[in-house]
Amino acid sequence: MKNFKIKLFLISLIVVCSCSDDFVNVESEDENSENFFNSEQDYQDALIATYDALQWTYLNVMLGEIASDNTLAGGESATDVPGIQEIDDMIHTPVNTQLRDIWGFMYGGINRANFIIEFQDKTEFADKNGVIAQTLFLRSYYYFELIKWFGDVPFVADKRIQFGDQFDIDRTPKAEIYAQLEQDLIFAIDNLPTVQVETGRVTKGAAQALLGKIYLYQEKFTESASVLESLISSAPYSLLSDYSTLFENDNENNVESVFEVQYTDLEGAGFGCLQCSEGNVAVGFNGIRSYNGPLFESGFSFNVPVQEVVDEFEDGDLRLETAILDIEAWSNETGATYTEGNEHTGFYNRKYISRQGDTNIGDANLTNPNNYRAIRFADVLLMAAEALNRGGIDDARAQLYLNQVRERAFGNSDNNVLATGSSLTNAIYHERRVELVGEGHHFFDLVRTGRAAQEIDGFIQGQHELFPIPDIEIQLAGNRWCQNPGYTTTATCSN
Amino acid sequence: MKGYISTLLLLTLASLSYAQSINVKGVIQDSDLMPIPGANVIVKNTNTGAISDFDGNFVINNVSAGATLLCSYIGFVTQEIVVTNEDSLVITLLPDVAQLDEVVVIGYGTQRKKEITGAVSVVSNETIEELKPVRVEQALQGQVAGVNITSSSGSPGAASNIQIRGISTNGDSRPLILVDGNVIEDLSVINPNDIESINVLKDATAGIYGVRAANGVVLIKTKTGRKEMPTTIEYSAYGGFQQTTRKIPVLNASEYALLANEAFAAGGQSLPFPNISGLGVGTDWQDAIFEDAPIFNHAISLKGGGKKSGFSVSSSFLTQDGIVGRKKSNFTRLTKSLNYSLDILKNLKFNTGILFTATNKKNLPENALGSVLFNALNMDPTKPIDGRAIGLGGEVINPLSQIGATYNRTKVSKIGGNFGLSYNFLDHFTVQSNFQFNYAEVKGHIFNPITDFGLQDNTDTVFDREVNEVIESFNYFRDYTFDAFIKYENTFNENHNLNVMLGTSVFKTTGKFTGDRGFQIIDNSISNATIELASDVEDLNQVLGRDPTFDSRLLSYFARVQYNFKGKYLLSAVMRRDGSTKFGPENKFGYFPSGSIGWIASDESFLSDSNTIDFLKFRASYGILGNDRIRDFGYVALLNGEGTYVLDGQLIFGTAQGAVSNPEIQWEKQKTLDIGVDIKLFDNAIDITADYFEKRTEDLLVVPQVSGLLGVSSPGSGAPTINAGIVENKGFEFAIGFSKQLSDNFKFGLRYNVTTIENEVISVSSDGAFLTGGGFGIGQDPPSRMEAGFPIGYFRGFKTDGIFQNQSEVDAYPTINGAVQAGDLRFVDINNDGVIDDDDRTDIGNPLPSATMGLNLSLDYKNFDFVAYAFASVGNEIVRNYERNQRLTNKTTYALDRWRGEGTSNTTPRVTTGATSNTLFSDYYVEDGSFVRLQNIQLGYTFSDGAFNNKNIDKLRLYVSASNLFTLTEYRGYDPTTSSGAPIGGGIDQGFYPNPKTFLFGLNLKF
Repeated sequence: MKNFKIKLFLISLIVVCSCSDDFVNVESEDENSENFFNSEQDYQDALIATYDALQWTYLNVMLGEIASDNTLAGGESATDVPGIQEIDDMIHTPVNTQLRDIWGFMYGGINRANFIIEFQDKTEFADKNGVIAQTLFLRSYYYFELIKWFGDVPFVADKRIQFGDQFDIDRTPKAEIYAQLEQDLIFAIDNLPTVQVETGRVTKGAAQALLGKIYLYQEKFTESASVLESLISSAPYSLLSDYSTLFENDNENNVESVFEVQYTDLEGAGFGCLQCSEGNVAVGFNGIRSYNGPLFESGFSFNVPVQEVVDEFEDGDLRLETAILDIEAWSNETGATYTEGNEHTGFYNRKYISRQGDTNIGDANLTNPNNYRAIRFADVLLMAAEALNRGGIDDARAQLYLNQVRERAFGNSDNNVLATGSSLTNAIYHERRVELVGEGHHFFDLVRTGRAAQEIDGFIQGQHELFPIPDIEIQLAGNRWCQNPGYTTTATCSN
Repeated sequence: MKGYISTLLLLTLASLSYAQSINVKGVIQDSDLMPIPGANVIVKNTNTGAISDFDGNFVINNVSAGATLLCSYIGFVTQEIVVTNEDSLVITLLPDVAQLDEVVVIGYGTQRKKEITGAVSVVSNETIEELKPVRVEQALQGQVAGVNITSSSGSPGAASNIQIRGISTNGDSRPLILVDGNVIEDLSVINPNDIESINVLKDATAGIYGVRAANGVVLIKTKTGRKEMPTTIEYSAYGGFQQTTRKIPVLNASEYALLANEAFAAGGQSLPFPNISGLGVGTDWQDAIFEDAPIFNHAISLKGGGKKSGFSVSSSFLTQDGIVGRKKSNFTRLTKSLNYSLDILKNLKFNTGILFTATNKKNLPENALGSVLFNALNMDPTKPIDGRAIGLGGEVINPLSQIGATYNRTKVSKIGGNFGLSYNFLDHFTVQSNFQFNYAEVKGHIFNPITDFGLQDNTDTVFDREVNEVIESFNYFRDYTFDAFIKYENTFNENHNLNVMLGTSVFKTTGKFTGDRGFQIIDNSISNATIELASDVEDLNQVLGRDPTFDSRLLSYFARVQYNFKGKYLLSAVMRRDGSTKFGPENKFGYFPSGSIGWIASDESFLSDSNTIDFLKFRASYGILGNDRIRDFGYVALLNGEGTYVLDGQLIFGTAQGAVSNPEIQWEKQKTLDIGVDIKLFDNAIDITADYFEKRTEDLLVVPQVSGLLGVSSPGSGAPTINAGIVENKGFEFAIGFSKQLSDNFKFGLRYNVTTIENEVISVSSDGAFLTGGGFGIGQDPPSRMEAGFPIGYFRGFKTDGIFQNQSEVDAYPTINGAVQAGDLRFVDINNDGVIDDDDRTDIGNPLPSATMGLNLSLDYKNFDFVAYAFASVGNEIVRNYERNQRLTNKTTYALDRWRGEGTSNTTPRVTTGATSNTLFSDYYVEDGSFVRLQNIQLGYTFSDGAFNNKNIDKLRLYVSASNLFTLTEYRGYDPTTSSGAPIGGGIDQGFYPNPKTFLFGLNLKF
């Protein structure tokens, strides 16, 4: 009997362990991306992740300045981040870590946006159009960055790019992409509020400004002027009266900020994943090398302004002190100490260097809370002026907008520009350079207006208007794409 | 002592003899009291006899009293016993040293070593006792052909990398490790004193273990008490100290200042040391951080057995300080184990074992940019011992300050156990089931105080911290394995031996990570460093963007047939069906067959009388093994990425996709061929094993670089796992041993083994594709690659051809980006296109050795025993990456031979602070890593039986031992034996923590 029981026990053991194949069917505790979007919250959560990619544009801003004639690469030594040094010297090649980062980061943002678009019809809720509008704005922002850097780029607008898809996507002519972005931004304008409840979200004004900018890049001056003027004429944006407070951390999301990328020092970050930082990585990179003194904090001395851009400021231009830090003068004045880095010019990009007063957690250099004022009302005014002038629409109104900016800059109207025609155009170009110095626009302004070759040392016409698509990215997509003109490449395109 | 039992019995029985017919029964066991099933018992000069059953029992009826039983079994000396009455006999067979007696665990059973058809190496208890390893891996190092062990660090408690027959996967290349059948990941939980033997399965016959056996299997058997065993207590202890094997010669303060001035001048900058006189030798930072560090270990065990049961209990404690940072890198380990076996019924056996381990490890940053040793090599020698790191770049700081500011500890408490039942029925059937489990809790505590290593009040180094933080983590891991199988064993027509097994196995492992990070510790003091006292506490899972839990499982069915004819012609075949949670619904299950054959030629009549050849076996095996060691859920796109933004000034946590998915992933398959021969010659004095093997891994599971279009660079995302590529390892193993009792007092043994491995990547995903890994300098492309036509993880960089001696040489030769001058390295224009660019980077080294070998010598003379062993590695290269190459970082002394003008040097480039291509990765930074190391010498003395009046003491042995006494190598770094073990990115030295030289004094005591 005892034996029988034991046999029974053993046999039952065998039966118990002869599990069905279901034993190895395990569901992850993480949600499957195919089963998401069942509530408004799901859409909102995916949208936050799409916003996240804005923070990764710190590199675009930094390199947009370094590539121009405004600043030098700097850093610790001539070999400190070779990819940045090469872009500064216009000797960049299709092997460049930073260009690959920009490429990858922007597609990261686009994929997050397209995740929402892919499932946009799954669940209905009241403000769905508002969510889609924000999504489309962000996607347009990322595609626009890609076009600025690389020209024609692979374009997908209805779904995520999944593994395997990368071998089937050709570069779409930028005109076609622009057409889609215009359509998306018009939808955004129609469906976004003028003021968002939460600071940091995209507004109708932001969409108008971006659309106006995209028109301007295509030299569609009428359309550009029209959308920018409608933004100018409606609330709530205006110039901040005191330029010197514009870039301080206690004056973020001010009345001049049409669109601002939000950063914080609430979470640390490390060098292993710069894009994981919730802080503005560029600020630490731009910071003063080994600084010890009031107001500012140390950084890595990249992106240092040159004498030429300092000289571009007219006498009496109050913006100079806010835009450019003369470190020697500052040191003499305050007793602050610092050391000289590579390509030391004596100047720092004062708008975006680290300041005291943040929490300094994590790697303090990588987690500066300074928001990036991506589209300022001053920029909008200058873009409108340019569109009106270059489009031959109305130089008087162009002067009006330009002089609004200048009046603030000089604190009076004595320096107002009265020129018209091409002189006015040049005045607007000058104004853009000094008003927006250090904000990452100048290289692209030079390229789109055809002035880059004459202004930037080493810039080769017909080549450097576009950056090379990293060779490795061409290879990893199956060698379908040709390299941008002028770059020697190991990639072999099939057409 | 035990050996006399049967003799005594025999004498007793003989004296009582008188003629009559009796029924004889008894049990046959070996000297370890293990029952011997299948032994022959024949009544001498008759045809009557029996074969012992599973428990070694036999019964022969109607034997005339006074008859002689002949009791025999392969590998044992045949015994004759005169039977006189019906008392149960206990017959202990003594091993026949002339035979292969070892029983080898081969997976769900054991097999006589003689009959094994696979490539199996055994490290015996004897060898382990000789080696006195502090860590188990050290018992394998240099002992077993085909097993290569490198340590990732010489710091206390650091893990070792074990590779069996090379690297055949770019993923996890660790073998499967089983302790008494229980899977473990980390050998540090085992007290080496508890180990009875280690078997290493190296070829396709490991396939019976199915999943994860593709990298080979290490089977560890622990000591346990047995039935009828007298109770014994063993105590062993050793203590000693460790010291560094090497200091790298770096410039002293005066030399350093001189070269710094020269470099600044060359870069067109003002001199940093206008006045060199009086700088002297300055601070020797290596002297400052290296210390002699103590190590102590105690172990005690109790073993015994009753009529139906056996048990063992043991406990050990190890404490070891580090040669860098002493107590700041201390490691302690406490182990307790319990084994118990019981015969519930004659044919129903139960066994159980519990192993508890508690370790406590403190760590300093090591083998990385910014590690303590890296800093010691690069720190400014003109600075005093408490000096600040000024102008050394953000990554180099004072190593002593760094040690002072490092506070971390990891406590691991782990309990593992097994329960097994075995039931024997209908003579030939056995059904067995085993349940094994592990539970581990890992508690981590890190305190990062406010620090300021560089300029005062300035965050100019990456280690400076203006807000302190504390991280407390608590993770647990649990797994279980449940096996059940049924075996049928029988012999037909005397000569056909058949063994069939059918079984199933399930494995499940789960775990959970929890933790918090907090800031603003009051007084910046470790004593306040708890989460409770911290502010702004955040959830570590959220910070790290990781999954808090995991759950992965395996389900397997397997069948094995073993057949032999007369024990001479051997055949074995295995079929497994494995299912893994790692793969999607389409590809969950894989079928993995393997088979092997063997022929014992020495049993053939034409060799059986040979005086030279005692044993000769040929064997061959082939099989396909599966590998699933990849991350979970790679086949499905999950929302575990990081998507955090800031709204209203607050962090808002969104939902983003994690790693890119690939629904198509399936099992990696390794096809393994082994052909081997085992020979014993000259009365077994010489023992030779030779094997040729080929391992071809197909459908390699790789995480390749993929197109940025897929969003892989988003936080929390990553490349998908795909099946792509083929890697081949071909090699030859040869082991020879000589062992002889030369006189009554003198025994001599010498063993040598060598393994050659040729590794080649046949393909990687698509044409021209490659995978990269490792790091060199800062901001440079990864130096290691996996690419078709090269060994896995080969180094790719520029080839150099001396130094440009003058400007005309520079002008006449293609250079990189125009920044080259006389005194710089001349990179070879590999493709002769007139420019030096990425296409000129080429194969400049292989981190894998082409051959590894071990040599062991043992001598026993009277009461003395002596053992020495050495191992060597030939043909591997190491990348020198412990130099920061910043303007004011220190240099090693070879920089004194720098180029200073035409004809001054053709090997070492000029020094400069200007832009230079000399810091680009080239063969200038690649060194030969071949070495020979005397790993251990040990001298022991065992006191004679009569030496103590105390009868309780059975044995006392005292010994002295020196480990890692010297290494012959041309490698200039700390230790050529260390490697990160990464398949792509191994062999890059960022200031490896050297394996210390260790001097021990110890004793073994047995009651």
